[in-house]
Amino acid sequence: MSDVGLQRKSGSVSEPLIETSGLTKQFGSFYALSDVNLRVMPGEIYGLLGPNGAGKTTTIKTILGLLEPTSGWIKVVGLDPAKYPIEVKSKIGYVAENPIIYDSLSPRDFLDFVSSIRKTDSIATNELVARLANAFDMAQYFDSPIATLSLGMKQKVALIASFIHQPPVLLLDEPLNGLDAKSSRIVKELVGFHAQKGGAVLFSTHIMEVAQQVCTRIGIIYQGKLIAEGTLDQLRGKTQGGGTLEEVFLRLTNEEDEVAETMRMLREAFFKNEAR
Amino acid sequence: MKLGEAWRLSRTCYREMVYRSLAEERGRMWWGAFGRSQQGKESQDDLELTKRALRIAKFDKGVVAVFNVIVSMAPFASLFLGSPGFGLTSAISLSLAVTFGFTALYSIQTLSSFMSPESSALLLAMPLNRDDFSLITLFSFIRSFDYMVVGSILSQVVLVAYLTASPIATLIMLAASTMNAVFAVAVALWFSRFFQKNMLLGGRSKANSILRLFFILMWGLLLVAVGFLFTIPWYIIPNLQSTLLGAGQVWNSLWGLLYPFSTGIVITASVSSITSSTLLVASVAMLGYALLAVFAGKWSLVTVKRVSQGSGVNIARVAAQDFSVKSRGPLLGYVLKDLKVASRNPATAFFFTLPVLETVIIILLDSNFGVLRTALVLVGTSMGGVFALFLPLALLSAEGKGLEYTKTLPISSRRIVVPKALVSTATYVPVPLALAILSLLKPLSAPSAILIPFLIIMPVASASIFEIKLFLRTAAKGKMASVLNDFEKLTFGVAVVLVSVVAYAAVFLTTFNHDFSLLAMGGVAFAELAAAFYVLRRP
Repeated sequence: MSDVGLQRKSGSVSEPLIETSGLTKQFGSFYALSDVNLRVMPGEIYGLLGPNGAGKTTTIKTILGLLEPTSGWIKVVGLDPAKYPIEVKSKIGYVAENPIIYDSLSPRDFLDFVSSIRKTDSIATNELVARLANAFDMAQYFDSPIATLSLGMKQKVALIASFIHQPPVLLLDEPLNGLDAKSSRIVKELVGFHAQKGGAVLFSTHIMEVAQQVCTRIGIIYQGKLIAEGTLDQLRGKTQGGGTLEEVFLRLTNEEDEVAETMRMLREAFFKNEAR
Repeated sequence: MKLGEAWRLSRTCYREMVYRSLAEERGRMWWGAFGRSQQGKESQDDLELTKRALRIAKFDKGVVAVFNVIVSMAPFASLFLGSPGFGLTSAISLSLAVTFGFTALYSIQTLSSFMSPESSALLLAMPLNRDDFSLITLFSFIRSFDYMVVGSILSQVVLVAYLTASPIATLIMLAASTMNAVFAVAVALWFSRFFQKNMLLGGRSKANSILRLFFILMWGLLLVAVGFLFTIPWYIIPNLQSTLLGAGQVWNSLWGLLYPFSTGIVITASVSSITSSTLLVASVAMLGYALLAVFAGKWSLVTVKRVSQGSGVNIARVAAQDFSVKSRGPLLGYVLKDLKVASRNPATAFFFTLPVLETVIIILLDSNFGVLRTALVLVGTSMGGVFALFLPLALLSAEGKGLEYTKTLPISSRRIVVPKALVSTATYVPVPLALAILSLLKPLSAPSAILIPFLIIMPVASASIFEIKLFLRTAAKGKMASVLNDFEKLTFGVAVVLVSVVAYAAVFLTTFNHDFSLLAMGGVAFAELAAAFYVLRRP
C-alpha cells in the first residue's frame, strides 16, 4: 500500500484527518448527537465505544456526509463533507454496520463497480484485491451472487471495497460483525498497518475487548454525548478504579450499579421456579 | 388448523412479502448525500410509511384486478354490439388468452419476492406442524393474485351465463376459467423459479451468461405475447374468424386441438347442438388440458411448499481462477452495474426486451399498409419512445438497497442520471433502425419523414433525464410516494416525448409542408434536450 498519510492534498501530517466541533444531530425532539468534539490524528486508531443507540453510527454517517448536522462542523482531511462531498468521499474508506451492497452482483462485479467509480489504477487495485481476497479465503465466493453469501463474507467484500482506493481515512462501523476469528485478526492487523502508514481510523464498536486490542485512543459515547476520551490508561485514571475497559466504561456511564441491580433481578426471576 | 384461521394467518405472511418487496425499494428513498441540497432526511415515521406502503400495494392490486376484468370482458363486447364476424367461440378463446397473458405477467412481477424463503421466515420459528405451515404459505401465495383471478373468472362465467343462459355452458366456462388461472399462475411460478435458480448459479462461465440472456429473452417473449394479445382484436381475430368459417374439416379439427380454442368450441357447441368431429377433438383436447391443469396445480403446490421451506435451492460455488477486477471509469462502470443489477432482478429484467417489443409492434402496425405514411411513422415512433420511458424508473427500482452503499462513493447525482438516461435512450434506438429498414422495403409518403424517429432520440433522452431528476427531487425530500408511485414521472416523460410529435402535427396542419414540420420538430426536440442538460447541471 502507498503511504496514505502523505497523499493528502491539504493539511500537514500534524493536522487531524478527522475533526468535529460541537457536532449535534437532532431527529425531531431527539438528540442523536449532542456537542460531539473529536479529533483523529494521522496514525491514530480512534475507537468510538458506546452501547447500542449511543450515536456511534450517526457520528460516522455525519462525518461521511450522509447526514447533515443540525449544528457544529466537520472536517475530513481539512474539507467540509457538506461542501465537498465528492472530494471527502474519495478520501474515505467506509464499512457500514450492516453491509448493504448489491445482492445480485458477485463480489467481482461489485469491486469492478467500486474501482470504476473511484477511478483506481488497475494494476495496483488488482494486486491489492488479490492479496486481500486470498487472505480472506474468498476464492469460492468471488463469483457468487452476494445474496448467497453469509454476513461475514459480505463484510469481507465491504472491507476489501473500503481499502481498494487506499484512502487516508477509514470509517469502520462495527467492522468485525460476523467475521470468524482468523478474519477478525486480519482486519485488526490491516487497520494497524493503515495507521502505521499515516492513515486515520475511526473504529466504532460496542465490544470492549476489540477496542482495547485495536485502538490507540478511545472515545466513549453515551446518549449522544462524548463523555470521555483518551488512552485506556487515561480513562482508567479518570475513574480512579483501574480494571478492564468494561469496568471503566460502566463506571463512566454510571451503569455499574444499574447492571448489578438488573442482574440480581434476573437471577431471582431465572431461579424462581427452582426455589419453589 | 381450520381453513379460516390459516387464511387469516396467511395475511401476516403476505404483508411481510409485500413489505419486503417494498423495503427492497426503500433504499431509493435515501437518495440524499450527494451534496447539501440533497442530504438525506431520516425523520420519517417507519410505521406510518409501512402502513402507507401496504395500502398502496392493496390499491395497486385492486387496480390490476379491475383492469384484468375489463380485458377479460372486452372480447365479449363485440357480441353485444352485434359484430357479425365475432362469434362466441372467438370471444371465449380470446378472453381466456388475454387473461392468461395478463395474469401470468402480473404474477411474475409479484412472485419474485415470494421466491425468497425469507418471505415465510416469520412462520418458521412458530410451533406449527408441516401441513399447517404449508397451508398458510399457500394462502399467502394465493393472496398475491386473488383479486385478479377471482375477478376474471367471475366476469367470464357471468358473461357466458348471460349470453348462453345455459347451466352446462356456464359450468364448463367456470372450469375453463379456473384452469386458465391455474395455467397462468403455474407459468409465472415456473418463470420466477427459473430466474431465481439462474441468479443463484454464480460463476463466470459463458454458459451461465448465455443462459441469463436466454432467460431475459424468454421474459421478453412473454411480454411480446401479451403485446400480441392486445393486437388480436384488430389483426388476428378477423383472420381467425374467416379461417374458422372457411376452413375444411381437417383444419377445424386442428383448431379444436389448440388451447384455448378447444374451450371456445366446446362451450359454443353445448348451446348450439353442433355435433361434428371438431367438437369431438375439442372435447378430448379440453379433457387433456384439464388433466394438464391438475398437474400444473399440483406442481405449483409442491413448488410453493418447497420454496417456503427453503428446500430445492442449489447454490453453485465455483472457485475463482483469479481475483482480477476492472476499473473502467465512472460512466461505463455505472452503466455496466445498472445493466447487471437490472437484468438479474425479475421485476426489471423484462424491460430490456422493450426494443424487441417496440420493433415487433411497429412491424405489425406497418405490415398492413402498402405505403409508410407519415402519421404511421409518428404513431410508431411515439409508442417506441413511450415504451423506452419505462426503463429509467426500472433502473431506479433495481438500485434497491444497494444504493445505501453507492451514496458513500464519490459520485454526484449527475453521474447517476447520465448512465440511466443513456441506457433508456439506447433501448429506443431499435425503433428508428426498424423503421429505416422498413422504409427500404416500402415507400414513404414523405421521404423526409424517416428522420422523425431519429429526431425523437432527443426527446427520449430528455424525458429520461427529467424523469430521473424528478425522482431525485421528490426522493431527497424523503417522500414515500416517490418510491411507490412512478405515475407522475412517467406522465411527465410521456408529455416531453409527445410535445415534439405535437409540434410536427401542428406545423403540418397549418403549412402542409413536411420539411417545415420536421424543422419545427427538430427545434422543439433540441430545445428539450438543452433544457434537460441545464436541469442536469443543477445540483
